[in-house]
Amino acid sequence: MNDLLALPTMPTAQATPQASSSALLRLEGIQTFYGALQVHFGLNLHVCRGEIVCLLGGNASGKSTTMKVILGLVKPRAGRVLFDGQPITGLPTPQIIRRGIGSVPESRRIFPEMTVRENLLMGAYTRADREEVRRDYEQMLERFPRLRQRLNQRAGVLSGGEQQMLAMARALMGRPKLICMDEPTMGLSPLFVDRVLDLIQHINQQGVTVFMVEQNANLALQIADRGYVLQNGHIVLEGAARDLLGSPEVRDAYLGGDAR
Amino acid sequence: MPEFTLRAFADQLVNGLVIGNIYALIAIGLALIFGVANLINFAHGSVYMIGAYVGWVCVTGLGWSLGPTFIVVAVVCGVLGVLIERFGLRRLQSEARIAPLLATIGISFALDQLVQLIFSPNPQSFPSPLPATRVMLGGVSIGALDALIAAITITIAAALFAFLRFTRLGWALRATAQDREAAQQMGVDVNAINALAFAVASVLGGIGGVMIGMYFTSVYPTMSYGAMVKGFAANLLGGLGSVPGAVIGGLLLGLIETFGVALFGSTYRNLFTFVILIGVLVLRPTGLFGAQRAMPPEPLTGTFVANSKPVRIPWFVAIGGLVAAALLPFISSNPYLLQIFTNAWLFAMLALSITLVTGTAGQMSLGQAGFLAIGGYASALLAMRLGWPLELSLLAGAAIAAALGTLLMWPVFRLRNQYVALATLGIGEVINQIILNWEGLTNGVLGLSNIPPLSLFGLPIVETAPIYWFALAMLVVAALFQWRLTQSHLGRTWRAMREDEVAARAFGVSLHRYKALAFIAGGLIAGLSGAFTAHMYSYINNETFAATTSILGLTMVILGGMGNMSGAVVGAIALTALPELFRPLADARYLLYGVVLLLLVRFRPQGLLGTV
Ligand SMILES: Nc1ncnc2c1ncn2[C@@H]1O[C@H](COP(=O)(O)OP(=O)(O)OP(=O)(O)O)[C@@H](O)[C@H]1O
Ligand SMILES: [Mg+2]
Repeated sequence: MNDLLALPTMPTAQATPQASSSALLRLEGIQTFYGALQVHFGLNLHVCRGEIVCLLGGNASGKSTTMKVILGLVKPRAGRVLFDGQPITGLPTPQIIRRGIGSVPESRRIFPEMTVRENLLMGAYTRADREEVRRDYEQMLERFPRLRQRLNQRAGVLSGGEQQMLAMARALMGRPKLICMDEPTMGLSPLFVDRVLDLIQHINQQGVTVFMVEQNANLALQIADRGYVLQNGHIVLEGAARDLLGSPEVRDAYLGGDAR
Repeated sequence: MPEFTLRAFADQLVNGLVIGNIYALIAIGLALIFGVANLINFAHGSVYMIGAYVGWVCVTGLGWSLGPTFIVVAVVCGVLGVLIERFGLRRLQSEARIAPLLATIGISFALDQLVQLIFSPNPQSFPSPLPATRVMLGGVSIGALDALIAAITITIAAALFAFLRFTRLGWALRATAQDREAAQQMGVDVNAINALAFAVASVLGGIGGVMIGMYFTSVYPTMSYGAMVKGFAANLLGGLGSVPGAVIGGLLLGLIETFGVALFGSTYRNLFTFVILIGVLVLRPTGLFGAQRAMPPEPLTGTFVANSKPVRIPWFVAIGGLVAAALLPFISSNPYLLQIFTNAWLFAMLALSITLVTGTAGQMSLGQAGFLAIGGYASALLAMRLGWPLELSLLAGAAIAAALGTLLMWPVFRLRNQYVALATLGIGEVINQIILNWEGLTNGVLGLSNIPPLSLFGLPIVETAPIYWFALAMLVVAALFQWRLTQSHLGRTWRAMREDEVAARAFGVSLHRYKALAFIAGGLIAGLSGAFTAHMYSYINNETFAATTSILGLTMVILGGMGNMSGAVVGAIALTALPELFRPLADARYLLYGVVLLLLVRFRPQGLLGTV
C-alpha cells in the first residue's frame, strides 16, 4: 500500500498537509441537546496541526458547549469528534485528556482551596514522567514569574489575571498536543489581554495547536490563523483570520446572534 | 447537680476527648464523602455498625487479637463502602441531591435489618481484650483502651492529612471536591475518586465502630443511626466537608456531650447532639470555623419530584375502593386483618401529611413523626389529666401538633434541599428527646399508660370493626380537606414554591408563610393520626413514634408518587399490609422498606401512580 502511494520522500512527518486530512481535531455533523433545547445543528469544523483557530460567536451561540463536546463533558446526540484521526466521541473526559488535549475552562476554574503549586501539578496529573514534570514545572515558573512568588498561597486569592495565567500554565503542564481555551481574555484588563494573546502565540510557536473560543473577535483574529463564526448553533462563516478581520459579515453575525 | 472536683473534671475531660476522637473519625468520613460527592451519607452509620460487629466477631467469637481484627474490619468496611458507591449511588450522580440521600437511607435500613436478622436485635457484649490497668498521669487516670483509641485516631488523622497534602491521589481527591468538572479536565477519573472517598471513609467508620464497641463494651444494630447523626453534627460544627473541621467538631461534641451528661444525666446525651445540629444549621451553616467555605450551593428548584404524568384514578374506582374499604368488616370478620387495615389508614394519614409537605410544597421532611408524637401525647394528656371528652381531645391534639410542630420546624424554613432533610430529621429527634426528658409531663421512658379508649358521644369504641370505621372515616375527612387545599390557590402557590423558590419569591410569595401553612395543614392530619393511635393502643412512649416512622412514611409517599394523594394511600396500604400478609416478610420488614426505597429512587422515582 505504502509503496503504491509513495511520494518523493520529505523530511517532515506529514508529507502532504492537505489541510483537512491531517487535521488534529475534527468535528463532523455534531448535534447537541440539553434536554429539549438543541444547541448544535450539524456542526463541522477542524483544526490543523500547528494552527491557532478561533471560534467566534455571540452569547449563548453554543461556543462553550462546543468545548464541552470536544472534552467529553457533553455527549452529542449525533456526529463525531476525531482527534489525531481517532474517534473520541463518547469517551470519558479523563481518557480524552490523556490523549493529549489540554483545557483552559471558561472562567478559569482553578482549584481555589489548593495552593498555586498544587494547581500546577494537578495539570500534570496524567503524566508519569516525574523528572520531565519537574523540568516543565521549573520552566513554567520561569515563564510566569508572578506565580513563583505565590507558590504556597491558596489559588483562590489570586487576581483574575493571575488566575488566568495559572489556568494556562496548569493546562500546559499536561504537555498537550492541542489546547482548548474558552474565553481566555474574559474579564481581564487591556494590559492582561495583550499578555494573554502574546502567550497564546508563544505557546503556539512551541508547537502546541490552539483552539480558542472568543467573544472579542478583533483581538482573537489578530493572532489566529483561521476562524469560524457560530450563530445559533450553525457555522455561518469561516475563513482565514485576515479575511474575517474587520469583515462586515463578522459584525453582522454578532449582531444577529445578539438580536435573537 | 453533682459537685465537680478537679479530679472528676479531669476524668470527664479524658472521657470526652476519647469519645470525641471516635466522633472525629466518623465525622472525617462523612466530610470526605460530603466534600467529594456533595452527599449526606445516611448509610455511614451502618458501615460503622457493621465494622463494630465484624470486630466483635473477630475478638469475641474467634478470639483474635486487635491487630488482625482491625485489618479485617478495614478490608470489610472498605469493600462495603465501594459497593455502596458503585451499586447504590453512582447512577444517581446527575439526579437532584436528595435522590442519592434517599438511596443511602434505603441502604442503611437494609444493612441494619440484615445485621439484626443475623445477630438478633439484642446488644452483644464486647469486652475489650486489653488489660484493664489504668495509669495515673498527672492526676488523671488513663486506661489502656483510652490510650489505644487516642493513638489510633491521631495516627489515622495524621496519615490522612499527609495523604491529602502530599500525594497525587490526595490532590486529585481535593481537586474533585473543589471543582468536579475542572478535575475531570485535568484527567482525574472522578468516579474512581468517589469510590476512593467512600472506601477511605468506610474504613475510618468501621474502625471507629470497633473502638466504640469496646469502649461501651457492647454492640447493637441500632447504634448506626446515632453515630451517623453525631458524626454529622460534629462535621457541621467544624464546617461541612472540612476534614480538619471534622476533627475539631468531633472533639468538641465529645466534650460537650460528656460534660452535659455529667451535669444533667445520661438521658440528655442525644439531646445535645440534636440541638447542636439544628443550632449550627440555622445560625451558622458554615460551621464555627468555616469562615471562608460557604455552604455548597444547592439547586434552587424544588425537591426530588420527577416529572411524570400522574395516573388519573377515575371517580368510580375511587368510590368503589372506598365502598370496598367500608364493607371490609362485613366481608371478613378476621380481627387481625381489620387491625392491619386500621394501621394502614393511620399510616395513610401520615403519608398524606408527608406528601403535602414534601411532594406538594417541596420541603423534604424526615421529621414528620414528630407531629404524630405531639398529637398523641397532647390528646392523651388532655384526656387523662383534664378529663376532656375524646372528640375534643383528638381535635385539640391535632391542633396542638400543627401549631407546636410547625413552630419547632420554623428554623428549617431558611434551608434548602439536603439541609431541610437533615434539619427536619434533627427536629423530629428533638421532639422525641424532649418527650424522653420532660418526665413531669410525659412520664419519660415509662410512657403513658391507661390512656382513655376511643369513644364517640360518650360511648366507648373498643371493638375492632368500629375502630376500623373510625380510622377510615378520619382518613376520608383528612383526604377531602387536603384535596380542597391542593386544588385551591394555596395549592398552586405551594407547587410554584416547590418548582422554584427564587421565582416564587420574585412574584411576592412570602416563602416562610407558605412553608408554615404546609406544615400546619400536614401537622393537623399527622397529629390526628397520632392522637388516634394513642387512644387506640392506650399506651405510648417515646419510641411509639420513632424517627424510622418518618422515613417509613416517606417511603410510602415515594412508592405512591410524590404529591399524589391516592399514591400516598396506596403506598401506605402496600407497605403496611404486605409484610403482614406475607408472614415471612414481617421479620424483615425494614429490609423490605430499605430495598423498596433504593429501587424506587433508582428505577422509578415517580412512584407507582406518578408525581403530581
Ligand atoms: N448545562 C446546561 N443545561 C441546559 N442548558 C444549557 C446548559 N449549558 C448551556 N445551556 C444553554 O445552551 C445554550 C448555549 O450555551 P453555551 O454556554 O454553549 O453558550 P456560549 O456561546 O458559550 O455563551 P457565552 O458567550 O455566554 O459563554 C444557551 O442557550 C444555554 O442557556
Ligand atoms: Mg461560553
